[in-house]
Parts: sequence; C-alpha cells; structure tokens
Amino acid sequence: MQFKSQAVAKPYFIAAIGLFVGQILFGLILGLQYVLGDFLFPAIPFNVARMVHTNLLIVWLLFGFMGGTYYMIPEEAETELFSPKLALLMFWVFLVAGALTIVGYLAVPYATLAELTGNNLLETMGREFLEQPLPTKLGIVVVALAFLFNVTMTVLKGKKTAIATVLLIGLWGLAVFFLFSFYNPVNVVLDKFFWWWTVHLWVEGVWELILGSFLAFVLIKTTGVDREVIEKWLYVIVTLTLISGIIGTGHHYFWIGTPEYWQWWGSIFSALEPIPFFGMTVFAFNMVNRRRREHPNKAAVLWALGTGVMAFLGAGVWGFLHTLAPVNYYTHGTQITAAHGHMAFYGAYAMVNLMMISYAMPILNGRAANSNKSQVLEMWSFWLMTVAMVFITLFLTAAGILQVWLQRVSDTPLPFMVAQEKIALFYWMREWAGVMFLIGLILYITSFFYGGQEEKAA
Amino acid sequence: MCAMTTAALIPPETPQKRLPGDLAIWFFILAEMLAFAVFFASYAFARARNVEMFNLYQQTLDRNAGALNTFLLITGSWFVVRAVQAAHRNDQKAIPRNILLGFLCGGGFLVVKVFEYAAKFGAGISMSTNTFYMFYISLTFFHFMHVILGMVILTILWVQARKGVYGSHDAHGLESGAAYWHMVDLLWIILFPLVYVMR
Amino acid sequence: MNALKNPAHRAWLVLLVATSITWYLGEVGAAGTLAIVAMLVIAFVKGRLVILDFMELREAPRLWRALLEGWLILVSSLILLAYWISLK
Repeated sequence: MQFKSQAVAKPYFIAAIGLFVGQILFGLILGLQYVLGDFLFPAIPFNVARMVHTNLLIVWLLFGFMGGTYYMIPEEAETELFSPKLALLMFWVFLVAGALTIVGYLAVPYATLAELTGNNLLETMGREFLEQPLPTKLGIVVVALAFLFNVTMTVLKGKKTAIATVLLIGLWGLAVFFLFSFYNPVNVVLDKFFWWWTVHLWVEGVWELILGSFLAFVLIKTTGVDREVIEKWLYVIVTLTLISGIIGTGHHYFWIGTPEYWQWWGSIFSALEPIPFFGMTVFAFNMVNRRRREHPNKAAVLWALGTGVMAFLGAGVWGFLHTLAPVNYYTHGTQITAAHGHMAFYGAYAMVNLMMISYAMPILNGRAANSNKSQVLEMWSFWLMTVAMVFITLFLTAAGILQVWLQRVSDTPLPFMVAQEKIALFYWMREWAGVMFLIGLILYITSFFYGGQEEKAA
Repeated sequence: MCAMTTAALIPPETPQKRLPGDLAIWFFILAEMLAFAVFFASYAFARARNVEMFNLYQQTLDRNAGALNTFLLITGSWFVVRAVQAAHRNDQKAIPRNILLGFLCGGGFLVVKVFEYAAKFGAGISMSTNTFYMFYISLTFFHFMHVILGMVILTILWVQARKGVYGSHDAHGLESGAAYWHMVDLLWIILFPLVYVMR
Repeated sequence: MNALKNPAHRAWLVLLVATSITWYLGEVGAAGTLAIVAMLVIAFVKGRLVILDFMELREAPRLWRALLEGWLILVSSLILLAYWISLK
C-alpha cells in the first residue's frame, strides 16, 4: 500500500465481514420462522430476529463504508490520514456499541431495553430500521462526526479529487440525514414523512454517491483508464442519482396521509431512479473493456462488474416493478418489497463493500492480489452468493405475486396468515437459496486464507 | 468479409461530424429530457381521463404570459448560439456580450413567471386544488428550476468568456453549457402549447 | 439579406412566427382534432429547429441527432395518442 495509515481500514473490513456472517445467520433463522413460526421461540422471536438481521446489515455496511473510505482517502488525497489513532479508537467505540446493542436486542425484551436506555428522555425507538437505543444512536453520531472530521481534514491537507469530493458529500449526507432519526413527532404522518428522510435519502440518495465513488476508485486502479474519463462518468451518475432520488422520496408518500400530488411526483421521479444504476452498469463494463492494463486482482474486477449489474437489477428493475402508485396500491408491503430489498441491498451495497474488501485486503496484506487459487475460490464465492441472491429474489417475487393475488386482488380475498400458508413452498425454496448464500460467504472468507502467499509483493 | 459488409452498409462519416460540447452533458440532457417526457405523457394521459376539468381550468391560465416567455427563451437561446458562433470566429468581445443577453432573457422569463405564479397563488390555487393545477404547478415549477440552473451555467460561461477562455481553439465548455440552455428552451416549446393552449 | 444565410438567424425568425401562430390559435379558441394536430406539428417543427440549428446537431454523429429527434417524435406521438383517446 502507498500510505501506512491506510492500514486502519483492515480492522473495519474484518468487523464488517464478521457482522455480515451474523446478518446471514439471522437471515436463515428468520427464513425458517416464515415456515416454522415457533422456531427458537421464545428465545428469539420473529420481530427480534428481523431487527437483528436488518440492524446488522446497516452496521456492517457502515463498517465497510468507513473501512473503504479510510483505505481510499489517503491514496486519493496523496497524504497520510489525519489521525490513524482516532480512526482506531472510533473503530472500537463503534464495535463495542454495535455489539452491546445486538446483545441488548437479544437479552431483554425490547420494551425493557427502551426503559433501560432512557427512551423516555427522548423517544426515538420503536421505528423500523431505527430501533437502536438512544445511547447507540448518539454513539453513531459521535463516531460519524469523528470519522468525518478525520477524513475531511485529510482531504483538506491533501489533493482534492472529484472522487474524494463525491465520497465526502455522500458521507456528510449520510451523517446529516441520520439526524432525522432523532426527530419523532407524535403525528404519525409527520413521523413517517421524516423517517424516510433517513431511510430513503440514505439508500436511494447519499449511499449511491458512496457506491459510485468506491466503484470509480477501484475502476481507476484496476483498469488504468484516465481519471478524467472516470470522473466524467461519476459526475453524470451522481447528478442523475440526485435528480431522481431526492424527489423520488415521494414513492413512499403514497399511502401515509400526505397530499395526493405525491402519487404523481413519487411515481414519475422514482420511475427514473433506475437510470443512474443503469449508468453504473454501462460505466463499469465500458471502463473494463477500455482497460489499459491487466490488473492481477481479477476477483475485484469481477465484483466491480457484478455490483453494476446486480444494483441495476435489484435496485433499478425490481424497484421499478412496484414503484408506480397504481401498482404499489396492490403490492405495498408484500413479499415484492422483500424481494426488491434483498437484491437491491446485496447488489448495490453488499457487493460494493465486498469489491472494496476484495481489492484492498490483499494490498493491506502486502501483495497486489491473492494467488490464482485463492482468486478462483473467491470467484466461486461470487457466483454462489450472486446466484443464491437471484434465486432468493425470484422466489420472493413469486411469493409476492401469489400473495397479492390471494390476499388483495382475488374476488374472495384470503386473510394474511392463510395466504402466507399457501405460499410456504416459496419460503422453503428461499431458505435453501439462503443456505447456498451462506456457503458462498464462507468461501469468500476462506479465499483470504487460502494459498495466498505466491503472488509477488505489491 | 464481415467487416466489409458492415463497412458497405454504413457510409463512412465525414470527419467534420462531431458532437458539440461534452459527451457527459449530453447524457445529462437526455436524462433530463426523459424526466420531462414522462411528465408530459403523464399530463396528457391524466387529461384524457378528465378532459372537461382540464379544458375548464386551462382557460384560467395566462396565455399571453406563456407566449411572451416562449419569445424570451427562444431569443435567449438565439443569443447563446451567437455566442458560440462568435467563439468559433474568435470574436472575443461578442462572446460574453451574447451570453449576458441570453442570461437577461432568462431573467425576463423568471420575472414573468413570478407574476404569473403570484396571480395564481393569490387566487388561492395550490397543488392540491385539482389534478390540472397540480400538473400546471409541478411542470412549470420544475421547468422554472431548470431555467435557474441554466442561468447559473450561463453565469459561469460569462465569467470564463470574459477571461478569454473560449475561442476557435477551444469552445468545448461553452458548447456544453449552451446545449443545456437550448434544452431548457426545447422543453418549454413543448410545455407551452401542451399546458396553455392545446384543447 | 446576408444574415439569413446563418441558420441560427433563420431558425430564430421561424420560431418567433411559429410561436405567434400557436398563441393566435389559443386566442381564437381553436380546439379539436385539427387545432391539436396543427399545434403539435408546430411544436414539432420548432423543437426540431432548436435541436438542429441551436444545439447544432445537424452535423453531429447520427446517433445523437437520432436520440434527440427520437425524443421529439416520442413525446409528440404520446401526446397525440393521449389527445386522440380524449377525443373519442
């Protein structure tokens, strides 16, 4: 690696992958609870497992983003990190806070946890994805501010590239929009309205900037295409993301009590949200085709191409499927949403982190790339996880279509639980695809320890 | 063999064929135009389901203001074309002058529009009044924001032009900004008849 | 009349005249199939002039000219289709 301080990325990457394993294990538990309702009850009820599954996802992605940033920023700014010590300290703060939160979720009932952590001082808990207790939320803010201070200072004292600027905008946006998690008005419409400012503007807004910036960085490094060309693409993608994504928030405002024009605004702008993702796919393939060198890390290039395609399919196509208000009227909150959520998160954010880790870890270990053997194994893990995710998405989509039909469209609509029983077959198939995904993830981890010593040093 | 047939099918492009401005701005323009295309089509099909209401409220719009604004944008575009042509013949004085005139046309558009909005909002009309007004306000306001962005771009071009950045050696940036400004014009050329006149 | 050799000047004049026609059609309250088609044709011609002579795509690579003109055709046909449905 070019700068010593880039090494702080390593613990972040390791923690991210560790939490990712946890997320998948809880995913498997959840998947089983869909068909065997009392599995692990009362130790881990469905709602707790779901909370752990989604919270672990968020936390590991954040670890990945921070690790990737710490790796990337010194190289972009061409200077050492402002304070590697602060970065390491924040790593432990975040890890301990994250772990304690998960232990809290599992050890005591949620209501007790809320009481113990001072939720009555400032009520922020009990909302989907923002279930974290107050101290954890405050911890996230402290960690995020220290992290942003650290990387911003680094960029300020070094070179300011377009890629680093886009990344910083994305990260600052991430921190700013998280502040809405502290705003919890009594009016349920307002509550939901601003809740989306965190949730939607993260995943369909600023996170896409982080994604684009990571992708651009790895493509520059692995393809040797001119920075100027790559930055031009990045600008276009970022603009398209912001045009479509910001007003696209409206596609969550169809049925929560907001004025009717949101059905038009939300439908029209969110229908455009696939475009930046399509841009990313074309971008990745175009750059790899125009490559000026053969980078030894073929696995990282595969992840880069993969994230382009899967983000477009998962976030773009599967998002578009149910984004128009007249369609969403029927599909809202069904398994169609779950199908979209799974492939979008994997394709966009899990894969871009795996790409970054795949690119950076060998270099952090003192070599340009892992051995051929190890890369073959990693590519297997890529295909296993990706194909498994395609299956999960397809099975959930099938389940969703059936659910919409049985429960909402048919002349004799069935109650929710009865409809659920009718689609159990798809849940079983989804569970097996989940097992396949776990095997892929285990292979991914194994690949880093396997025959890695042959390639010459970076 | 295969290459030869392809070559025979597509006549070779003359070397002068080039896209003015930057490729990136054209992608951006296309995306913006797609957004408006969806909006225009939504308007037209929403109208088809509610013709009487749309026809009734369309008559409350200020057609004169709309037409005046069309003149302003067309003329603003024309000035910017003249700025680009001035750059190609290296007429350093004419470049910033024409950009400024284009900018003033944009400013005129905004003034007319603000008066128009003031009259409508003053009458208590809002996005929630009915579907027609929802579209009228959304479409024109979305376009309004694009005029502002276009004027920001013209300001940058003006500053650069005064520094003498553009000329026959390099008009790349000027052409890129000009293309965006023309798009703002093009969108209004569809919007005006669609929302103000066609019935 | 040397100025009219410049395509941009010609386009500007045509655009002004065309806009006046549309405005006039509105003033006399023209409505129905003929008026709609006339206004769409005028808008199409105007849009095409902006694309070819203002954006200067007349001499551009075929792809880009086609993309922009294609947009114009697409938008006009969608509007025409919707208005045709409304007239039925």
